[in-house]
Amino acid sequence: MASLRFRLNPQTQRRLNRFRGIRRGYLSFLVLAALALLSVFGEVLVNSRALVVRYQGRYYFPTYGAFHPGSDFGEGYSYETNYRHLGQRLAKEGSGDWVLMPPVPFNAYENDFRPGVYPPTAPSAAERHYLGTDTTGRDILARLFYGFRIALIFAAFYIGFVYGLGIAVGCAMGFFGGKVDLLGQRLVEIWSNLPFLYIVIIVASLVRPDLTLLVIITGLFSWTGMTYYMRTATYREKARDYVAAAEVLGASTSRIIFRHILPNTLSMLVTFVPFTLAAAISSLTALDFLGFGLPVPTPSWGELLHQGTANLDAPWIVSSVFVSIVLVLSLVTFVGEAIREAFDPKRFTTYE
Amino acid sequence: MRAYFLRRFLLIPPTLLGLTLVVFFITRFAPGGPLEQALMRAQQSSLEHSSSRASGQGTALSEDQIAQLKHYYGFDRPWYVAYVQWLGKVAQGDLGTSFRYNEPVWDLIRERFPISAFFGLTTLVLTYSVCIPLGILKAIRHRTWVDTGSSLLIFAGYAVPGYVLGALLLVFGAARMRWFPMGGFVSGNFADLTAGGKVTDLLHHAVLPLCCYLIGGFAFTTLLMKNQLMDVLAADYMRTAVAKGVSYRRAVIGHALRNAIIPLATDFGQNLTLFLTGSFLIENIFDIDGFGLLGYNSTLDRDYPVVMGVLLLSSLLLLVGNLISDALVALADPRIRFG
Repeated sequence: MASLRFRLNPQTQRRLNRFRGIRRGYLSFLVLAALALLSVFGEVLVNSRALVVRYQGRYYFPTYGAFHPGSDFGEGYSYETNYRHLGQRLAKEGSGDWVLMPPVPFNAYENDFRPGVYPPTAPSAAERHYLGTDTTGRDILARLFYGFRIALIFAAFYIGFVYGLGIAVGCAMGFFGGKVDLLGQRLVEIWSNLPFLYIVIIVASLVRPDLTLLVIITGLFSWTGMTYYMRTATYREKARDYVAAAEVLGASTSRIIFRHILPNTLSMLVTFVPFTLAAAISSLTALDFLGFGLPVPTPSWGELLHQGTANLDAPWIVSSVFVSIVLVLSLVTFVGEAIREAFDPKRFTTYE
Repeated sequence: MRAYFLRRFLLIPPTLLGLTLVVFFITRFAPGGPLEQALMRAQQSSLEHSSSRASGQGTALSEDQIAQLKHYYGFDRPWYVAYVQWLGKVAQGDLGTSFRYNEPVWDLIRERFPISAFFGLTTLVLTYSVCIPLGILKAIRHRTWVDTGSSLLIFAGYAVPGYVLGALLLVFGAARMRWFPMGGFVSGNFADLTAGGKVTDLLHHAVLPLCCYLIGGFAFTTLLMKNQLMDVLAADYMRTAVAKGVSYRRAVIGHALRNAIIPLATDFGQNLTLFLTGSFLIENIFDIDGFGLLGYNSTLDRDYPVVMGVLLLSSLLLLVGNLISDALVALADPRIRFG
């Protein structure tokens, strides 16, 4: 119900229209949304499993389906079918059977070892390694693509965590004020100065961090920035007449916070989302780069960047990661600026 | 006003105490610390020893030796006692001795600090001397080709983390093209060079890392300057000034600029400390033996005296930096009353 009211709010409608009017930002938003959507259906685009196999008159769709041992298609092994080889064999036999591979016929984990070829190999459209391979022969495009998907998943949880904690603490400090505020601010100051990397290194030496743990650790050291904004916004809203009116009417504290103050700070919170997203992607990349991020075979931009700096003869590694990072983070920044402008349009005057 | 700054100043020590206490506590209970490392090393060497001599020795170290090690690393006292002892030494200007380098921590810091400070101060000077004029230009020429063209570059720059650019520059600018050295602060034969050669060598090494340091703050400062100035340009007093015949140039410089520059002052203190302590990611890529890398390596090595020393100094700088920011804001805008 609350969301319905929010959607019908004419002010929100105006902001959305303004956002659509900012061309660069809106376009960036569409491109980002498209990329995110593509990554959801990534298995169809970048995968070592075939999209369609026609074998002896029957059709198989292995992408999301069950695992097919090689023997299903007359190959002499019982591990998973190598669809690229199968395709070549069927084409040679010329019996009318065929294999349709995704545009990038590799997954992010397989090492494409070919006789006489020593990875890393340079980009080659003939081998279908469009961005080359990394030091262990894994396809770079596939690793970038799935690394992006993992970074998005990480960012989604990270944003939820940071917002949840930051809003709760900031709102409490602003609402209750006084001693809570003073003590809270001191604690937040100490907390935000703690050497984050130090804690991460210690945790990484204790357990191999997985996605959940990494979200928790990075989140725990990133929520403090949010509290400053939230605290000020709560102070401001609390001083307004409508809150006093609600109090006089006998509304409970939780009702005032959740029905009155929080909805009114929502627009401020929305403007920070793109910047939090950018922060999430950059911190995950930095941690992976240093080797304290996700466990090793996970496709990741930071890990690729590290490979790139360690293998100076393979410049395609660094270039592909660099372009990806710049592209995605620029898009996110453009969206962020546009949202900010749409929510708080700047008056400007020119003289002359 | 004086009371406010006095209070802020007095709040620095408790914050520092809280910070160091938390980290000290962690160093005591985190596994894989220096004591365990030393025990492991001893065990390994005794294993090699016994296999070569084929004579079985039960344990690697005697109780006595373990107690000695514990004493050396300061683990023979409860943590709060050790913390108070550490504090007492710090009060006398002694940060302890590094486990790894076996040198006084203060000497290690003093050696590396100027390196990070060199990059930091150069970055700061370059950033402000380019960004303020550029921001002004962009504000005055809002939505002309000057503004739009530089905006694209600036946004891309804003989006790129410095060390990511560093990786690219290292591979292309240094390794492939050989335009610049691969890393380090100066060449190995620096001491033998002439004065002119020294300057050239230093600058030659500094170009790539400086690019990385510059890129982030550059975009941020320019945009801040532009947005603030545009806000001020729309203010009524500016319209009045122009209407009554003050030249545009004088109106911008005399009326608008001072007000627009206040938010930049808020950032100055933080920037100063950020740059003084260096970025370990950039120092890591270019192999510059600065303050940031010292902190990072000491954490990796569990070199606790260095960890504590670096933490103490960088947090002190940070807190002082915040204070400087507030003082600058007060200087730039006498209307602001801190309470």
